[in-house]
Amino acid sequence: MTEMLLIQIDRSEGSLQRLIGLIERRGFTIERMSLAEAGLHREVRIGVRARDAGRAVDVLARQIDRLIGVRRIAPSADTVHSEGAVPCTA
Amino acid sequence: MTASSAAPKIAPLPAPKTGARLVVEALDAQGVEFVFGYPGGAIMPVYDAITEASFKHILVRHEQGAAFAADAYARVTGKVGVCMATSGPGATNLVTGIANAMMDSVPLVCITGNVASPLMGTDAFQEVDILGVTLPIVKHSWIVRDAADIPAIFAEAFRIAASGRPGPVLIDLPKDVQIRVVAAPIQATPAKDTARRLDPSQMRRAEAAIGLAERPLLYIGGGVRIANAVAEVRQFARNTGIPAVSTLQGLGALAADWPGNLGMLGMHGTRAANEAVQACDLLIVLGARFDDRATGKLSEFAPHARVIHIDIDAAEIGKLRDAHIAIAGDVKTVLPALSPRPLSIAPWIERCARERSRHEARYDAPGDGVYAPALLKELSERAGDTFVAACDVGQHQMWAAQHCRFASPFAHLTSGGLGAMGYGLPAGLGAKLARPDAHVVTISGDGSFIMNIQELATLKRYGIALKIVLLDNASLGLVRQWQELFFDGNFSEIDLSDNPDFAAVARAFGIDAFRITKREEVSAGIDRLLAAPGPCLAHVLIDPKENVWPLVPPGKSNAEMMHGEA
Repeated sequence: MTEMLLIQIDRSEGSLQRLIGLIERRGFTIERMSLAEAGLHREVRIGVRARDAGRAVDVLARQIDRLIGVRRIAPSADTVHSEGAVPCTA
Repeated sequence: MTASSAAPKIAPLPAPKTGARLVVEALDAQGVEFVFGYPGGAIMPVYDAITEASFKHILVRHEQGAAFAADAYARVTGKVGVCMATSGPGATNLVTGIANAMMDSVPLVCITGNVASPLMGTDAFQEVDILGVTLPIVKHSWIVRDAADIPAIFAEAFRIAASGRPGPVLIDLPKDVQIRVVAAPIQATPAKDTARRLDPSQMRRAEAAIGLAERPLLYIGGGVRIANAVAEVRQFARNTGIPAVSTLQGLGALAADWPGNLGMLGMHGTRAANEAVQACDLLIVLGARFDDRATGKLSEFAPHARVIHIDIDAAEIGKLRDAHIAIAGDVKTVLPALSPRPLSIAPWIERCARERSRHEARYDAPGDGVYAPALLKELSERAGDTFVAACDVGQHQMWAAQHCRFASPFAHLTSGGLGAMGYGLPAGLGAKLARPDAHVVTISGDGSFIMNIQELATLKRYGIALKIVLLDNASLGLVRQWQELFFDGNFSEIDLSDNPDFAAVARAFGIDAFRITKREEVSAGIDRLLAAPGPCLAHVLIDPKENVWPLVPPGKSNAEMMHGEA
């Protein structure tokens, strides 16, 4: 199942690399992703899928939350239903 | 109101300085005592400015040594360690040390030079994307793009490295940024971390669970040292009587002679510790992360236990084992706030003490060869409360964990998460600089020692009175042991019988050294080692066939311990 997360993150150098690398390293694949400007920050909407049953998205969310520069993380309302990859918009 | 009083007061800009000078001032502003480093082309402006620094630079002989020495300095003092290297190979040589600090939650500020900004991304000489290389193994990192940002970035780097769950941070300094002259604004104090508020309902649930438990057990991890919560843990254990097991990083949190201290759990843990974990009905986890070396087969770990997990890092809770009660907070704050009702667990306390006594280690191995566990036990007891062990990785590391007496977890420096051979010697020198009053001893093996043997030159250069016990079994002992037990005795590439004469090598570096070959020489050797005024190495020959016992086979439950011939 793909679960959507909405993440607000600083626009600092390396922040997206840090976020994407963490998600893949912790045993999730990125199924879809969009990126938008949100004032001083970026808003990343990202769909993740666990590679095995031992990976919990709430643990992943806490791991993302402890990244320096992550301002907010929450489940996104449009979880699961959208089909196909959303192109990166920024 | 006069015109002059109405005008906004503008603080004069400080005198223009180079970025390199700002780096030195930023380190001095943080009260840094030592920077462990190695110069090179892309960091030369900082080295030019360092001659006016208040801190002392320790010139190591390999950048990995710088990172490990800074790591040990940080572990012993609780302060932030600092290491520095040039771009390219200098930076990549830091990587193992950075990963080590990340795995064991050690606060480090790692500074690297880089090629000038216009050259970055062009595959220039000694260019590497060290920010990219280290992304998975740092808590945070920066490339400084504007020299005026240096004071703010350094202040933030020290704050992030030390706060919450500590870890390494990296600051990459392009050469043009080091050279640029700017009038940097005076740095305001960085934002303070707000203390995490404890959830009262979880605290009350924890108290109730402790009150109801018949077989509660403390599971002490490295977070206790990091939180500086040794006194709180000892108080809690004393007040409740709850027995305890420790991870490799938690050793020393409880007094060795306290009957409820069952020792280390896990792969090379004590039988008493592993049996208690398997039998307990409540596991109170203090700053530990259910590492696989501690848990064995996770699905069979503490099978009857409810879990209270206390950790400052909320991301650790539920990562590997679900917690019935999760308390995201500092052990130092949480434990004194827990007030369980008086417990009725006397039968459990007696059972644990009995098992501890029944499975005490024995030191009467046959023969007249040196028995390493006995040597290490005697060494730690003779050195006393100021004993600090900087261990390498291998059989000797496990023997040290099993048999040395540590007055506190600050006395046991070991590469636990990464398991990096080569840690012991540079860690020992970093620790001895931090604690010149202590008996700091590097405990190493012949495989590990040679990986950073060049740091003998650093000991000599600065006269660092580190003592070294080099247990030489002429092989990669732990690999040999696994090949014997799990690969049908097919010994593959573990023979190191062509080792150099390590005592002669040490003397060539100008270090006092001697050899111990028989059991009867051990006591006098320890005397000589501890009394030596300067650095000293004891090259100890041990039986290549000696194994570390007990042992939980990899992937098996802790209930399936092997006990060997011991």
